Amino acid sequence: MGRQLKFNIFRYNPEDSASVPHMETFRLEETEAMTLFIALNRIREEQDPSLMFDFMCRAGICGQCAMLINGRPDLACHTKTKKLPDDITVLPMPVFKLIGDLSVDTGTWFRDMNTKVESWIHSDKVLDPAAQEERMDNVLADEIYELERCIECGCCVAACGKANMIPEKFMGAAAFNRIGRFMLDPRDQRTENEYFEVVGTDDGIFGCLGLLGCEDVCPKKLPLQDQLGMLRRKLGFSAVQHIFGKVFSSKK
Amino acid sequence: MYTQTVAQAKEPVRNDAMYDFLQMATGVALVLFMWAHMILVASVNLDFGGGRVMNFIANFFEATYMAQLGGPVIFLVLLFHFFMAARKFPFRAEEQKAMWTHTVRFNHMDTWLWIIQAATAFIILVLGSIHLFSVLTTLPITAARSAARIQTGWWLLLYLVLLPCIELHVGIGAYRIGVKWGWIKRSTREYFHGMENKLSFVMIGIGLITLIMFYFIVTPDPTFMAKTPIPHM
Amino acid sequence: MDTFYADVLCVGAGLAGERVAVEAASRGYKVICLSLVHAKRSHSSAAQGGMQASLGNCAKGEGDNPDVHFSDTVKGSDWGCDQEVARLFAETAPLAVREMCAWGVPWNRVVPGKSMYYKGGQEFEKFEKQENEGLITARDFGGTAKWRTCYTSDGTGHTLLFTMDYQATKYGVPVHDRVEAISLIHDGENCMGVVARNLKTGKLCAYIAKATLIATGGYGRLFRETTNAVICDGSGAIIALDTGMVPIGNPEAVQFHPTGIVPTNILVTEGCRGDGGTLLDVNEERFMHIYEPAKQELASRDVVSRWMTHHIRLGKGVKSPYGDHLWLDIRHLGAKHIKTKLRDVEEICNEFLDRDPITQLIPVRPAHHYSMGGVRTNKDGAAYGLKGLYAAGEAACWDMHGFNRLGGNSLAETVVAGRIVGNKICEFLEGCSVSLKTDVIDAEVKKQEARIAAVKASTGKENAYELRNKMQDLTYDNVGIFRNAGDLTKAVEGLQEVYERSKNIGIRSNSMGGNPELTFALKLPGQVRLALCTAYAALQRTESRGAHSREDFPERNDRDWLLRTLATWKEGDTLPTLNYERPSKVWELPPGYRGYGEDKRIECEDPEVTGKK
Ligand SMILES: Cc1cc2nc3c(=O)[nH]c(=O)nc-3n(C[C@H](O)[C@H](O)[C@H](O)COP(=O)(O)OP(=O)(O)OC[C@H]3O[C@@H](n4cnc5c(N)ncnc54)[C@H](O)[C@@H]3O)c2cc1C
Ligand code: HEM
Ligand code: HEM
Ligand code: SF4
Ligand code: F3S
Ligand code: FES
Repeated sequence: MGRQLKFNIFRYNPEDSASVPHMETFRLEETEAMTLFIALNRIREEQDPSLMFDFMCRAGICGQCAMLINGRPDLACHTKTKKLPDDITVLPMPVFKLIGDLSVDTGTWFRDMNTKVESWIHSDKVLDPAAQEERMDNVLADEIYELERCIECGCCVAACGKANMIPEKFMGAAAFNRIGRFMLDPRDQRTENEYFEVVGTDDGIFGCLGLLGCEDVCPKKLPLQDQLGMLRRKLGFSAVQHIFGKVFSSKK
Repeated sequence: MYTQTVAQAKEPVRNDAMYDFLQMATGVALVLFMWAHMILVASVNLDFGGGRVMNFIANFFEATYMAQLGGPVIFLVLLFHFFMAARKFPFRAEEQKAMWTHTVRFNHMDTWLWIIQAATAFIILVLGSIHLFSVLTTLPITAARSAARIQTGWWLLLYLVLLPCIELHVGIGAYRIGVKWGWIKRSTREYFHGMENKLSFVMIGIGLITLIMFYFIVTPDPTFMAKTPIPHM
Repeated sequence: MDTFYADVLCVGAGLAGERVAVEAASRGYKVICLSLVHAKRSHSSAAQGGMQASLGNCAKGEGDNPDVHFSDTVKGSDWGCDQEVARLFAETAPLAVREMCAWGVPWNRVVPGKSMYYKGGQEFEKFEKQENEGLITARDFGGTAKWRTCYTSDGTGHTLLFTMDYQATKYGVPVHDRVEAISLIHDGENCMGVVARNLKTGKLCAYIAKATLIATGGYGRLFRETTNAVICDGSGAIIALDTGMVPIGNPEAVQFHPTGIVPTNILVTEGCRGDGGTLLDVNEERFMHIYEPAKQELASRDVVSRWMTHHIRLGKGVKSPYGDHLWLDIRHLGAKHIKTKLRDVEEICNEFLDRDPITQLIPVRPAHHYSMGGVRTNKDGAAYGLKGLYAAGEAACWDMHGFNRLGGNSLAETVVAGRIVGNKICEFLEGCSVSLKTDVIDAEVKKQEARIAAVKASTGKENAYELRNKMQDLTYDNVGIFRNAGDLTKAVEGLQEVYERSKNIGIRSNSMGGNPELTFALKLPGQVRLALCTAYAALQRTESRGAHSREDFPERNDRDWLLRTLATWKEGDTLPTLNYERPSKVWELPPGYRGYGEDKRIECEDPEVTGKK
């Protein structure tokens, strides 16, 4: 006999005017190697077919299933019930638009973010695919990959106090990481000024309060703290230099 | 949608960066000041409440006019720091509520630290200003005068509140500056976090000993309290 | 109701869909992509291993070229592929890799000097040339003569898809995510777009386009145990099948992978066995050496999967709440090896099984992995049956995989086909003048509205999830790794019964908005139809070829079965209509022995195929 698990699940369907946000309790017997993917699907198929939640890869690589599990944003599919107490509270992630119950719209948010930070290689080189590729040091390739591993799950955003305070505005750690990725990439010809234009504001890197919720929850363990620090230092000091430079030149 | 931005030479607006830098710079300045301040005040312990060392240091600052000038400057820096930092503070009720809900639900150390920092900031603003005003209007600083103040009215209580607030704010602030500006790395975070905790404790400890010294041991200047404009808080 | 207009409508925003979208958008056409999920979550992101392209930069890939890649692909397909397409593919793959490189994929690069590698559990040495430093490198994959699989660590699909979506973002291609295409709009001749259901609001909308692309990926979820994601449910193939005109090519050609973990069937890489891991049964004893004395655990994917299933049927499986399974043992490889070369496997075991592969056994069993079949297209990617309809990627039967696809060839297919098909779609658009037949559009929307209303109002007692389980049991148990007339007949009959019952699905929840139960109930009958295509085509194909392995017909029969299955579904029928076509007139490489596995063949006599006069 497995443990009797008690799931307290947030319920609300914004499409239904009669629906009010509330918590609902479901009970389930724990089975071996049970994950929240298995548990939530069983609840939907056996107890309440209207329960809304999202899964895709169920292997911890697509970022579709992020939710608050006992208060902490994490991927539900790689969360084993064994690691949780008998009483499990699941809430949808804040900051993102609620679709219903545990389902939130991370897709639209991330597309906007990608557009905002112009998340693509900016280059005016004309590509000749028949020619040999440009060389790159393997160490650099690995470094870029390390930052490219973000799965856009949104955990870092949901865990960020600043993003919770100004949800429509603050860009979030995933965006800063993405900028860091392109700054590292020699194929992107953007200048520091252009990066500055994109993230050098209080809704961008200078609004980050250093809360490190992002760093602590990222399921892919991206080096967010180090990226954030690098970005602020680089852009912050370049601004100082720039302004002092202006002061000096105007005195002349 | 796609515009070739590579060739663009538009100058970005750098205000936010500058404000953030100034917030950090004033923070660092205040941290350094508070440590120096601690040396002055805690020096009263060095000769077990005799006040000779403290008086000597205070004398030095006054003789060089550093206190007379520095005091108001510190006050201005403090105000400036407040204005810079307040830009990050959620003044709208719904923002505050969102932050509070998030903090309680998430229950995450560094997020709690920020709440502490923001809360202590306001206490410091009020109590620190009162303290500053009192000290700067009753120059010169001597151990006996400080003792007289601390042994009068609500002053001891004021310091008992202000002291931990300041030390927490300073400790957390220093740690957070390190994190935000990338000097504290993922690999060294745990170490500095530990340092920050220890430093705050040690500072509060020294401060408490100092207060005890002023309250019980140092002989107060009996005529002093009549001179201060806020005599019996 | 919302109606959207575009030049090109890409149903699916995975690698194939977005590649086509980028091609058309970069030339100024108006493109819209539909997807069930945020584009970057499409299942392409799950591919770890890599993508094949004959760059020949690394030491073990020296001398590689499109000819070698072509021949590997044809042999891999067990001569089931279209050789004209395979040639086109092999020639374009290097260009596609370099293009992805310029767009930002951080491909792993050649590091000059001496290094070690493992093969069959043994260590060997190789030496990379100084002059190739910094060029795109490659790793070894099954069924290839050279090291040809370009990769980014263990996240190749992820980096490819992200890079592709960066391009789509750059060109401002709108991706309407959580929108599911539920039927094609057509007048029997031209395809005009799709009717789709918004999964956030539950509302219907129409997407009208001059060219419509189906790039919806595989349909692994027809099977109980699959490495595929939960959205790989075949809905793209279903909307094509539902036209009654567009055929599904080779629906019986499905690939199984030996090592999906139990319970969730997440894939653990072939590298485990490649590096010397073994398979154990309930008594913790090896068994592969009994069945395959020569190659043992390292026999090809389909062979190992077959014997594992056989062994489980003998009652030698390990019982678990999630069904019987076997063990994969990599403990003897040692902590160092596992922590460096099999990092991902270690992570998967720890995260999903709570097991440490360094000290514990890994529960595995064969799982469905890849659908070679799909919407049948010509070499331009144009679907049979309807003008203006295209397909690419795993959803298509472009037909370069035949009856078995090589690892690394399907990521390559998505970007290569996307490039070629995108180009062809643009050519089509240039000379295209369509008249929008509003009556056809309205009629299709009405039809779908009625279908949804009927499911909502149904008083039927059938439970959609139960029927799905039934369907998945039937396919996995009977149309699986081993096939024979008895099992396949059982599957066809069983599925026909499920199909009948699926007409009486009653939904328990009438919640508004997306309503997950309704979404699912709407899809299920189509899934059963698709499963019937697979089962019935498998029953009819009385030979063994590639992954299609008939116990009662063990030979590859080139005399009678050098044919591609084309399955269509006439409305009201309970079985698909099967037709057959010759793969291609081009026989650059006449049918022969693959060079691995058993050589059991019935030779083809046709001079047009063999080249013998
Ligand atoms: C675990 C695993 C590992 C793999 N590893 C490798 C490997 O190493 N190398 C290799 O070459 N191949 C590998 N493959 C295979 C390869 O990843 C896929 O075949 C390929 O990525 C499919 O790409 P696609 O663009 O065709 O489809 P997908 O990426 O699956 O995209 C399908 C798209 O269609 C959308 N869609 C589906 N239905 C609808 C609908 N009804 N309406 C609207 N949108 C819809 C989806 O939302 C999605 O955007 C692997 C596969 C798996 C499962
Ligand atoms: C002598 C007194 C003070 C010292 C030494 C001090 C020091 C610091 C330091 C070091 C920081 C971190 C700076 C940064 O994160 O960039 C900080 C942040 C902050 N300070 Fe102060 N401070 C003092 C007084 C005040 C006062 C009076 C206020 C206002 C009421 C205040 C409000 C804040 C706030 C809100 C922050 C957080 C801002 C953020 O994290 O971005 N501080 N302070
Ligand atoms: C130039 C400015 C300052 C001067 C000259 C000064 C001087 C002093 C002196 C003389 C004392 C001893 C007690 C007393 O006389 O009342 C003291 C104590 C104290 N001051 Fe200041 N101070 C200054 C600024 C500040 C500021 C800005 C703060 C914080 C906002 C602060 C916080 C404290 C605290 C908490 C104590 C109690 C210390 C302890 O117990 O160790 N001071 N200060
Ligand atoms: S940075 Fe980490 S937490 Fe944030 S979206 Fe990417 S993977 Fe998720
Ligand atoms: S949690 Fe938020 S405030 Fe900064 S350090 Fe992370 S983005
Ligand atoms: S479902 Fe993909 S990360 Fe959980």
